Amino acid sequence: MGESMEPMGASMGAMESMEANRDTILEMKDIVKVFPGVVANDGVNFSVKRGEIHGLLGENGAGKTTLMSVLYGLYKPDNGEIFFEGKRVEFNSPGDAIKAGIGMVHQHFMLVSKMTALNNILLGYRTPKDPMMDYEWARSRIEELSKMYGIEVNLDEKIINMSVGEQQRVEILKALFRDVKLLILDEPTSVLTPAETERLFKALKRMSAEGLTVIFITHKLREALEVTDRITVLRKGKDVGTLITKNTNERELARLMVGREVEVSIEKKKSAAKEVLLRLENVYAKNDRGLLALKGINLSIRRGEILGLAGVSGNGQKELEEVIVGTRKVEKGRLIFNGKDITGLGVRKRIALGISCIPEDRIETGMAPSLSVEENLILRDFPNFSKNGFMDFGQIEAHAERLIEEFGIKTPSPKVEARTLSGGNIQRLIIARELSRNPLLLIASQPTRGLDVAGIEYVRKRLVTFSEEGKAVLLISEDLEEIMQLSDRIAVIYEGEIKGVLEREEADPEKIGILMSGGELEET
Amino acid sequence: MQIKIERRLETPKIIYVIIPIASIVASLLFVGILLLAIGVNPFEAYGVMLTRAFGTKFGLTELFVKAAPIILTGLAVSIPLRAGLWNIGAEGQLYMGAFAASWVALYFSPPSAVLPLMVIFGLLAGMAWASVPGILKAKFDLNEIISTLLLNYVAIYWVEYLVYGPMRGKEVYNFPYSDLFPDYAILPRFLGTRFHVGVIASFIIALVIYILLKKTSYGFAIKVVGSNPKAAEFAGTSREKMIISAMLIGGAIAGFAGMMEVSGLHLRLRAAVSPGYGYTGIPVALLARGNPVFVIAAAFLFGLLYVGGSAMQTTFGIPVAIVDVFQALVVLFIIGGDFFTRYRISIGGDRND
Repeated sequence: MGESMEPMGASMGAMESMEANRDTILEMKDIVKVFPGVVANDGVNFSVKRGEIHGLLGENGAGKTTLMSVLYGLYKPDNGEIFFEGKRVEFNSPGDAIKAGIGMVHQHFMLVSKMTALNNILLGYRTPKDPMMDYEWARSRIEELSKMYGIEVNLDEKIINMSVGEQQRVEILKALFRDVKLLILDEPTSVLTPAETERLFKALKRMSAEGLTVIFITHKLREALEVTDRITVLRKGKDVGTLITKNTNERELARLMVGREVEVSIEKKKSAAKEVLLRLENVYAKNDRGLLALKGINLSIRRGEILGLAGVSGNGQKELEEVIVGTRKVEKGRLIFNGKDITGLGVRKRIALGISCIPEDRIETGMAPSLSVEENLILRDFPNFSKNGFMDFGQIEAHAERLIEEFGIKTPSPKVEARTLSGGNIQRLIIARELSRNPLLLIASQPTRGLDVAGIEYVRKRLVTFSEEGKAVLLISEDLEEIMQLSDRIAVIYEGEIKGVLEREEADPEKIGILMSGGELEET
Repeated sequence: MQIKIERRLETPKIIYVIIPIASIVASLLFVGILLLAIGVNPFEAYGVMLTRAFGTKFGLTELFVKAAPIILTGLAVSIPLRAGLWNIGAEGQLYMGAFAASWVALYFSPPSAVLPLMVIFGLLAGMAWASVPGILKAKFDLNEIISTLLLNYVAIYWVEYLVYGPMRGKEVYNFPYSDLFPDYAILPRFLGTRFHVGVIASFIIALVIYILLKKTSYGFAIKVVGSNPKAAEFAGTSREKMIISAMLIGGAIAGFAGMMEVSGLHLRLRAAVSPGYGYTGIPVALLARGNPVFVIAAAFLFGLLYVGGSAMQTTFGIPVAIVDVFQALVVLFIIGGDFFTRYRISIGGDRND
């Protein structure tokens, strides 16, 4: 089972002398967790030393989160043993794990949005004066922790008014407040700007210096290399190796993760700029809560290009997607598509004009889970598959069979419910449907989120080929690497405004990062 | 030994057949226990039910007469159900249809136009009654379960008010009845029984709705809205329009059921036009999983209960309310059975393979 432990090695500069004496804080032995149809953990051995930052790396579905949920008491393992601080433990609930000194910050935060940070941190905690709340005591303790690790939050602010980064800091403080010895962070950077990520990494390093142990779950190679001391790689539910970070590299990690050599980047030729296909002129739109989410967007997408839209999630990307698709009302401004004003047109007319979309919420918006695969393949085109109001089932089936073949959708039959497909196949289904009507513009919103490396490769290649046919792609993504790799031009959105549009050559992560956090670029 | 509850990845089709049948069997068992408790042999009681319904020409035609309005209310619940809506208001829509048809029957002329007008007014009244919850749901997301349910009481009391007051007949003494309808306002009957032409109409309506839901693009759009309203919007199908139209069609069918009951059976407007057919439509639609053809089958089951229920009353003195108990049990078992479509339970030792 994997190339087991390498000898203890040194890591982060100053820690070097202590390194050799570190004891093992956590040992998970031969963990097996079976879900119906899937072996999520297949005899995983995982060992973490006190005071280290240990990366847990793997593709989506490799079993990282399952392994940590077993540790945190959310799942009972079907087999295997857990030793924490030398003792054999069995956690029946997160409560047990917290008591033992294990904290976890989930990918989706578990905060009460209408309560203040302070109350969220105290939620469920008994202060010394219990049953009375001792806010003074709590506040001074939290402030001490804040200072110690450099994690600042405004304790009296409500969660709802906080940025995602700040909410994450509240979650971390919540764990620290409970005297954790081991802190698990599940994909913590997926919602952060580059600057916030830097800040998080600094805090993690300080925690490690203070003797706290951190498990850092990620699928991003670069981050694992940047912040961890050691890395354990999971593949298909098995541990395939534990490496000392400073002795490894991106290539080796990618090979371990995927099990074969992978092309880390895709060739994309810079396109020759052609005429504008879609132009947004001073577009305003509200979000679901009735607040202005788009504040005067001006943006042009040209034929033959991929225009990347970078930004931290929640800055208006979703609203922009919906405004172009036609499911969200434009308050002010115009949309010109292919020389035609489409501001007042409905969704169906826009589909007919050639606007396709891979939506951000694939399952919530992109498909009807209880309908069959073939029905989902005509979900946005079904009027074209009917004559005088009656559905043409023969044509629907032929259409489905063609697309399943062409796009390699893995399904036992076109008649099975679409909800039974895997995430990657659902994405293929949506891409197949959206490309099948031969559109002019494709909006691709987080198109590779949650896909495995092979799936990502596939989707990216499709987007590139599509743009090379003289059509346009609006690529909305939180993954800066993806944006940098695929885009001809990069627009950055911040609080509903386009802060700048950079040509591919002049863009670098630093410039984009500044724009993403609302800064301005100095004129050169 | 260990009992494990696991999420299903795929639901075997057979589950969808087993659940309704098991729900019916379990309900029969429970009602059987109730019967035992009041000192009646359940086998005897169920036997009487069956012989009454199938033993005589009268029983058999009564079965059709009772099943017909249940087919219609079952459809009235099924159509909105496919769009993801609970129409608990078929009872009220039925009463409004009955009222509108009676009004035409008693006060309209010329005679030749009266029956067609009764049908049209019945449909429209049911529609109007269903439109209120439909529009409120579509525009303001008001819970349709509550609005449809409450409107039932309004409709039932409205009809009661009429038959005790303004529409009470001149020759009915103190009964809460209107006058008998004139002959030209009565649906033709066959075989010297109460088997009226409305029964045949009910079957035709079920088939038409079957085609509408299963074969047309409108039916497809309804299904998409029911499966995922956001996906429907994304596909350019207006959720609002589909919600309102599904409620309108459902209401129209329930309204027709009301017209049929007064014109085919009671021959007048009266209090208690329906013994709760509108509510019976709910378990019928659930058993049929919204499929109009299965609605017919399920409606016959409940028709049998209504026919048999009155037989049990006359033979054993059991209140007809036992039918309501049965209905409620079926609903509970089906909703409970839904668990098994999503989870499976395995009993056995540890599986450490």
